[in-house]
Amino acid sequence: MANIAVQRIKREFKEVVRSEEVAKCAIKVELVNDNYTELKGEISGPPDTPYEGGNFVLEIKVPETYPFNPPKVKFMTKIWHPNISSVTGAICLDILKDQWAAAMTLRTVLLSLQALLSAAEPDDPQDAVVARQFKENPDIFWLTAKHWSHAYAGAPKSYPEFDAKIKRLVDIGVDEHRARVALSSYNWDLEKATESIFS
Amino acid sequence: MACYYDEHNCKPLAYGEQPDELLHLARLLLDTGVGIELQIEFERLFPGERGKPPASKAAISKLKTVKSFSEGEKCPICLKEYEEGEVVKQLPCCHKFHFSCVLPWLGKTNTCPVCRHELDTDDQDYEEYKRQKLQLGNYSQVDNTPDFHREDLGLNSGHCHSRKWSFSGLP
Repeated sequence: MANIAVQRIKREFKEVVRSEEVAKCAIKVELVNDNYTELKGEISGPPDTPYEGGNFVLEIKVPETYPFNPPKVKFMTKIWHPNISSVTGAICLDILKDQWAAAMTLRTVLLSLQALLSAAEPDDPQDAVVARQFKENPDIFWLTAKHWSHAYAGAPKSYPEFDAKIKRLVDIGVDEHRARVALSSYNWDLEKATESIFS
Repeated sequence: MACYYDEHNCKPLAYGEQPDELLHLARLLLDTGVGIELQIEFERLFPGERGKPPASKAAISKLKTVKSFSEGEKCPICLKEYEEGEVVKQLPCCHKFHFSCVLPWLGKTNTCPVCRHELDTDDQDYEEYKRQKLQLGNYSQVDNTPDFHREDLGLNSGHCHSRKWSFSGLP
């Protein structure tokens, strides 16, 4: 990897480790390999959001041309959010694309992602199903996102009715994650979700 | 009074020259703001497809060379502290960088890596787009031009020093 990219990541690494957000356990970065091309990020779910109490792991790949091009970031922890794919974890955020600027750092990227969890942009969605639910059924969206945070990110338990519905499908041999996706996508309508799985 | 030709962004026909009707039609459409709307729609459909063009060679060669003077000051691109009295490049928005750090960035895009202040480009289409966007903005917005834009327009004396952000649109 180009020297400037490695040197920068090394300096940034120190910056993040020393930052007050790390002290408050809001963000975290770890090295995945020795040549600084791959890192593991972590952000905590912001307060007053359905992600509160959850811990979200991110895969960060640093391109050779960093910091002139943005790092490639995606969610490794499954999450229910209009701007993040519930299937692949891909993120729709302008600063990770054409709005990247060379003075941005790993710290500002992680803080921007945390801000994205607080303020979704449903009109510029990555996951169309989630975005539609966010706009049309905000209450169900909130409960669903909270349910996913509990299931995958270690947030506190939420709504027992959802667990009961998932169990109904699991009991008839459906994989738990598949059941969760189908129920979430059909606003927890057990009949429609079952139909979508078996059609 | 503005000259007719200036106002319509065209030149008088030379003796014997025929008007280019298609060009006039294209200009007419652009002047009515169709161009900017198409551009905005294009950006919405294909985000990131069209980044901002590189800064012009003239804009890069016009960058001020200054000495770094505050202790602990870092180049925002490589994050290395400047050495005492090191000579660095300063953008019109007053942000400073190592020349070797900011040059590859400006070769890719015309914005300041810190505040996105735009330098001029060699891309005529983009300059036209910028002009129209500004015009469109002027109809709907109050003047909230940051000070450094005013400096460009010759409205301020243009000293950077360690002045913090101040926006003229705020009370």
